[in-house]
Amino acid sequence: MTLVTSTSAEVDVGAPASNERGSLSAYVLLAPAVIWMTLFLVVPMAMIIYVSFWTQTTFKIEPRLTLDSWQTFFSSDAYLSSLWTTLRIWLIVLVTTFVVGYPTAIYVGLFVRNKTLQTSLLVLCVIPFWTSFLIRVLAWRPMLGKEGAINIILMKAGIITQPIEALLFTDLSVVIGMTQIYVVFMVGPIAFMLGRIDPNILEAARDLGADFWRILRKIIFPLSLPGVVVGAIFVSVMVLGEFATSAALSGRKVNLLGNIIVTQVGSLKWALASVVGVILTAIMALVIAGLLRVVDLKKEL
Amino acid sequence: MIMAMATSEIVTMQDGSSIVVLDEALLRLEGITKLFAGRSALSDVRFSVTGNEYISLLGPSGSGKTTLLRAIAGFETPDSGRIFFEGADVTRKPAHRRGIGFVFQNFALFPHLSVFDNVAFGLRNRAEPFPEDVVLSRVKETIDLVGLKGLERRGVHQISGGQKQRVALARTLVTKPKLVLLDEPLGALDANLRQRMRTELRRIREALDIPFLHVTGSETEALSMGDRLIVLDAGRIGQYGKPDEVYASPATANVARFLNRYNVFAGTIENDGFTTKYGRFDYGTRTPASERAYAIRYDRLSVTPSGGAAPAKLAASYVASEYLGSAMVHFFETADGKVVEVEHHLSFGPPEAFEPGRSYDLSWNPQDGIAFG
Amino acid sequence: MESRVLKPILAIYVALFLLFLYGPFIVLGILSFQQGPEGGPQFPIVEWSTFWYQHILGLAPPSRVSPLPIGISLFRSMTLAFMTMVTSTVLGVMAAQAFRKNFRGKTTAFYLIVLGMIVPGVLVGLGSALVATTTGIERHWWSTAFATHVVYTLPFAFLVMLAIFNRFDSTVEEASWSLGVSPSRTFRKVTFPLIFPGVLSAMLFAFTLSYDEFSRTLFSSGREQTLPLAIYSTFSVEIHPNIFAFGVLTTLFSFALLTVYAVLMMLSVRRARRVAIQEAI
Repeated sequence: MTLVTSTSAEVDVGAPASNERGSLSAYVLLAPAVIWMTLFLVVPMAMIIYVSFWTQTTFKIEPRLTLDSWQTFFSSDAYLSSLWTTLRIWLIVLVTTFVVGYPTAIYVGLFVRNKTLQTSLLVLCVIPFWTSFLIRVLAWRPMLGKEGAINIILMKAGIITQPIEALLFTDLSVVIGMTQIYVVFMVGPIAFMLGRIDPNILEAARDLGADFWRILRKIIFPLSLPGVVVGAIFVSVMVLGEFATSAALSGRKVNLLGNIIVTQVGSLKWALASVVGVILTAIMALVIAGLLRVVDLKKEL
Repeated sequence: MIMAMATSEIVTMQDGSSIVVLDEALLRLEGITKLFAGRSALSDVRFSVTGNEYISLLGPSGSGKTTLLRAIAGFETPDSGRIFFEGADVTRKPAHRRGIGFVFQNFALFPHLSVFDNVAFGLRNRAEPFPEDVVLSRVKETIDLVGLKGLERRGVHQISGGQKQRVALARTLVTKPKLVLLDEPLGALDANLRQRMRTELRRIREALDIPFLHVTGSETEALSMGDRLIVLDAGRIGQYGKPDEVYASPATANVARFLNRYNVFAGTIENDGFTTKYGRFDYGTRTPASERAYAIRYDRLSVTPSGGAAPAKLAASYVASEYLGSAMVHFFETADGKVVEVEHHLSFGPPEAFEPGRSYDLSWNPQDGIAFG
Repeated sequence: MESRVLKPILAIYVALFLLFLYGPFIVLGILSFQQGPEGGPQFPIVEWSTFWYQHILGLAPPSRVSPLPIGISLFRSMTLAFMTMVTSTVLGVMAAQAFRKNFRGKTTAFYLIVLGMIVPGVLVGLGSALVATTTGIERHWWSTAFATHVVYTLPFAFLVMLAIFNRFDSTVEEASWSLGVSPSRTFRKVTFPLIFPGVLSAMLFAFTLSYDEFSRTLFSSGREQTLPLAIYSTFSVEIHPNIFAFGVLTTLFSFALLTVYAVLMMLSVRRARRVAIQEAI
């Protein structure tokens, strides 16, 4: 039995870098998805930017480049105010979903240790979504109106004597409606991050003498931050693109950028709609970029 | 069937040079290098397997032994170098076309298939599948060979660790590979079972008469199972030879360390002695190597009261002892904290009792000392 | 620690929170039993009746209230959701499989796909409407709306499959290769059966998202409406409690479907566990 080994003076540089063969099949598998997204997402988005500079005739648009539509937008008080309204509502809803959702996330993520119970609670939060979005939006009117459910209950309970008028067709109604619809998107990611906190850490902190509020500030909140950021991104994106809730609950009084796009498209004013679209996209990009700066998501997740 | 070519037997060293290889080797590796994140897991590995033997691949964790095995199987592609199997260059050949069997440390059984279907999987799903009657008979034969009779219908979650190991083995063997690679196959088993499986594996290999290349981190396993032993040291081959040769004549200080049988001391070498900080000692064997060291086997040391005369000795204080069944290992510590182990085989007589903390002289015959350098 | 006090307080809070979430549903549930056909979609309940349920099912006596335009639009929504589900799951599985390797442009591809779930429906809808108008392509639910639906659901399917593959132990695939089985056959016989539960969740996700999708579809479906659009069109006309009855029915239907799914899952898990417990040594 022999064992032989060799050292040839020139070593053969055999196989090239490992992944040559692998990369090709990866590209092939990836191609359909990438092509689809490029054709049906990137191209339309580029179109929006492009068309915002087109000339608008009464019912048509022509590719002659001009800044007319942009001027129309920025010189109109109504349009500008809708810009501020959008930002205002977005910020308020972001804060309310956070404030309303965080305690729930703490309960579900930290206090409920049983995994099945956790999942059931989260499922419970999701069930309302099985009713069509629009139908739920419709249901707000009989809730918030002058003779609506809330007023009836409050009056019967003797808390108020006069029905609260401000519940419907105002900013407040829009905020309430949006919070109710989007708060789950805050609760989910935050509860997820909180569930990943090792309970031993909290116990150790308690043993060292920290009280709850200190633990909350110094441990729980920082650890939940990636979830907060993810939730904030979800909520922001959805609120900024909103139009149905505001239309239904404010009776056209609250005009968001989304509403403008819808109405302008309805009257075939494509160029102006595109201008609004570009502005909306810019706002969203800034918001997302800003939020991503708060936490390096890749590392945390 | 042994495909032997008569040539000189030369062991590859880290800085050695040697002689041309012949293509009758079943498996030949040339200059295999693999980098992971800038670190080299394998550096210029070269060896051949010619006969049907049980070959152990020993190395501590991080030595690259699993990487080497996976490169041979085709799960990793080396950054440079070539792999020849049955004379053909398979370096770029995908794993499923190499015809090399692989037994995984975690068994990697198909959880959605029964024991029988696991074993039959390879025969049924290869490029040219076998007819079902052939499958049935071969699978039955192999299941009997590994001792799984009666368990064919069970799911993989319904069998014990040792049985899972046999399924993994049977699954590979039924395809009649020309070479079987085993990646720490006994690592997940308890000590008792491991002992039994060692014998089983050797028996099975002998029945099939194909080479097994078995990776392990346990030197006892490597020494007891292999007809031949490859010691891997930080991505390079430290030594390749018969177990008793490696045991008696380690090629480098690291090989001596991995065997867990040698006390190794650093120092400088001269023609007439080796100087360590514990003294200057003669040596019986000088082995050329890049790292200079002095090695003396655990069982070649004697413990004597402090102050006596001896041709080679060093002072250390007694710490504790470990009872290993057929031997006792005594742990001593030098003044600067180096641990020195002395093994006393109980067939030579009952063990002595030593006083913890007291200083003793550990002496040996300098002819037993190996000097590297 | 004050968790003794805190936990019950938070529990009450969560109860109120759930009440807040379910508010509209409870309201529309109550109102669906409004008297018909004169009763309107607001309080007070004039008289309790199941009229509107009968109306939905076509069993009510004729009245001046026209039936909901659901019939064909329901069919369109279901078909569209089904097409979207299949397409986005297939593309998502393929993309996730590609992501198991490293290659150049991986991060860009990732963001490109995820972009589809980030961009709000208004914008995607506007963009596709623009493309359609300027290139003269006609808008239909089965073409332009379908394209935008997949843009929306593909990222979800993709992320679900990424998570599944992340936890997938690839040694079983390597074992299959070492036995001489080709990679494509390995995928069919080993990988796919093992990732199938994940694929199922991705499909469920995609179907649900597409079915209720509204803002994108508004711009891209042309003249034939899907269900949400049909409902939206009734906004401007008079609203009747039949829409609430419809909402209750569809919710109960979804609930029933998911209960069946959960029961099936639990049964298969229980069976697997029973099997695993019979470990012989």
